[in-house]
Amino acid sequence: MNNTHKRITSLDILLLAVIIGVLSTLSYHIVTQLNYHWNWSVIPNYIIRYDQVTETWKAGQLTQGLLVTLRLSVWSIIFALIIGTVMGIFRVSSRPLYRMISSSYVGLIRNIPPLVLIFIFYYFLGDQLMNLTGITELSYSLDDKDFPFLTFLFGPIEQLPAFLSGVLTMSLFEGAYITEIVRAGIESIDVEQWEASKALGFNRRKQFIYIILPQAFSQSLPTLAGQFISTIKDSSIVSVISIQELTFAGQELMSATYRTFEIWSVVIVLYFLLTFPCSLAVRALEKKMNRHKSL
Amino acid sequence: MTLWRTINTGLAAVILIIGVSTAVWAGNVRQNLAQESTLETIQKNQTLRVGFSTFKPWAMKDKNGDFIGFEIDVAKRLAEDMGVKIRFIPTKWDGIIPALLTGKFDIIIGGMGITPKRNLKVNFSDPYEFTGMSIIASKSAASGKKSLADFNNPATNVSVRLGTTAEKAAQNFLPKATLLKFSDEAASIQELLNGRVACLIASNPLPSNLAQKYPEKLYLPLKDDFTKEPIGFAIRKSDPDFLNYLNNWIKVTNSEGWLESRFNYWFKTAQWESLVE
Repeated sequence: MNNTHKRITSLDILLLAVIIGVLSTLSYHIVTQLNYHWNWSVIPNYIIRYDQVTETWKAGQLTQGLLVTLRLSVWSIIFALIIGTVMGIFRVSSRPLYRMISSSYVGLIRNIPPLVLIFIFYYFLGDQLMNLTGITELSYSLDDKDFPFLTFLFGPIEQLPAFLSGVLTMSLFEGAYITEIVRAGIESIDVEQWEASKALGFNRRKQFIYIILPQAFSQSLPTLAGQFISTIKDSSIVSVISIQELTFAGQELMSATYRTFEIWSVVIVLYFLLTFPCSLAVRALEKKMNRHKSL
Repeated sequence: MTLWRTINTGLAAVILIIGVSTAVWAGNVRQNLAQESTLETIQKNQTLRVGFSTFKPWAMKDKNGDFIGFEIDVAKRLAEDMGVKIRFIPTKWDGIIPALLTGKFDIIIGGMGITPKRNLKVNFSDPYEFTGMSIIASKSAASGKKSLADFNNPATNVSVRLGTTAEKAAQNFLPKATLLKFSDEAASIQELLNGRVACLIASNPLPSNLAQKYPEKLYLPLKDDFTKEPIGFAIRKSDPDFLNYLNNWIKVTNSEGWLESRFNYWFKTAQWESLVE
């Protein structure tokens, strides 16, 4: 890091003025030219509402959607990490069969539009799996009130089969990207590490577990964290299969109230509130990693 | 080498035999499934799963996040008469039929108009309500138009919601007009308010509600609805038992006058408006 002086030149001021000018013209047009009655009064109710019956504060409809998005993203990234690690190790395996399995998986997923993939998984695979594992049956017999812990982890039990289908789809999709990150991490480890561990008498499996993977993960930690942010953003795609996450909740509200602009604005802000802290964390993480490198 | 080849051929044969027998076995399972009516599954699970799409005032969420609307009342009553719990599954309209076919829910109760094309994929019950299409036009973009013929020219932009019977009606009644299709209703209404389209075609009561809400911008060019559509429950095919139950349920609730009174409440009054906003 070299310390350059931050000086504001006249060109900067001009640029800023132009940007501010364009933005204000745009907002003026939006407010005046658009035949739209802005009405923000209904919005707070969708974030948090006071329940008259139980006399408590409850999450509004958009907040509930946000919670589903959060659960979906967290579960998806956990499973995607597992899939990605296994497939990543397969990618660098000495056996051609493993390499083929892994590269077909990555090639297939990365070259299909996510929307198409989600439809295929949801309609053809999700249900079969849910019925085979008995999760569909289970969701009938359980009640939200008796299993607060389950509800905390997976959301409303009655939406469980759909939710898990969504998680599965997202995991497989994000897993392909994580596979590549893990592979790059493993390949970035110097060959001397392999040789030294071999000289110390580690077999290939132990080399992976004790020497290579820990280094590979710490190398690609920022990239993985970045992938988590992508997962949060990609989760909006599963609104097409009617998983009731933030985007879906927003669209439902719009059909009921026609408050299109206000609701989209709130949805944007909510997504930003979710992802921006993650971005800051990633940046801090990268700084920390680089400090360790320069030593 | 020959031994190896024999083993390989043997293995391939075994795999093939297993594969074929699985297919035969699966065929049997499918026949058994066909004998099992949805009616039985509903009672076994003690739950009726209803698919619908948010569509004012057929089905929507109120301020507390609970579902309300004409279809919701119908579904609740149906579940009550069956003696089972109800589970609402809000689904996007353009994917609602595939979702029914793949078993995401047992029945569509969502103001679905009976059309021959849809009927090829699903079974419909007898109609339990009738709805009419109407036109709502923009005063700035389509002033002075008073009949369907006035709108039927290439210069007229018409907005409809994708995959609805309104889209079909627009194609039949306004074949020459330019159709703009939106997957969500709010967008199609916004387009009309901005004056980018001359008119919007939708089932009543939306057009009449809009005309009341924006009297300075919009008007109703036609006095009456120009279609009268039957609305039925949609269920999966090959299920005569369930269909029979639904048809009789409709007859019973109709004879009580219950369906009509609910319909009037949701479509002819605005008492429920305060529940939504």
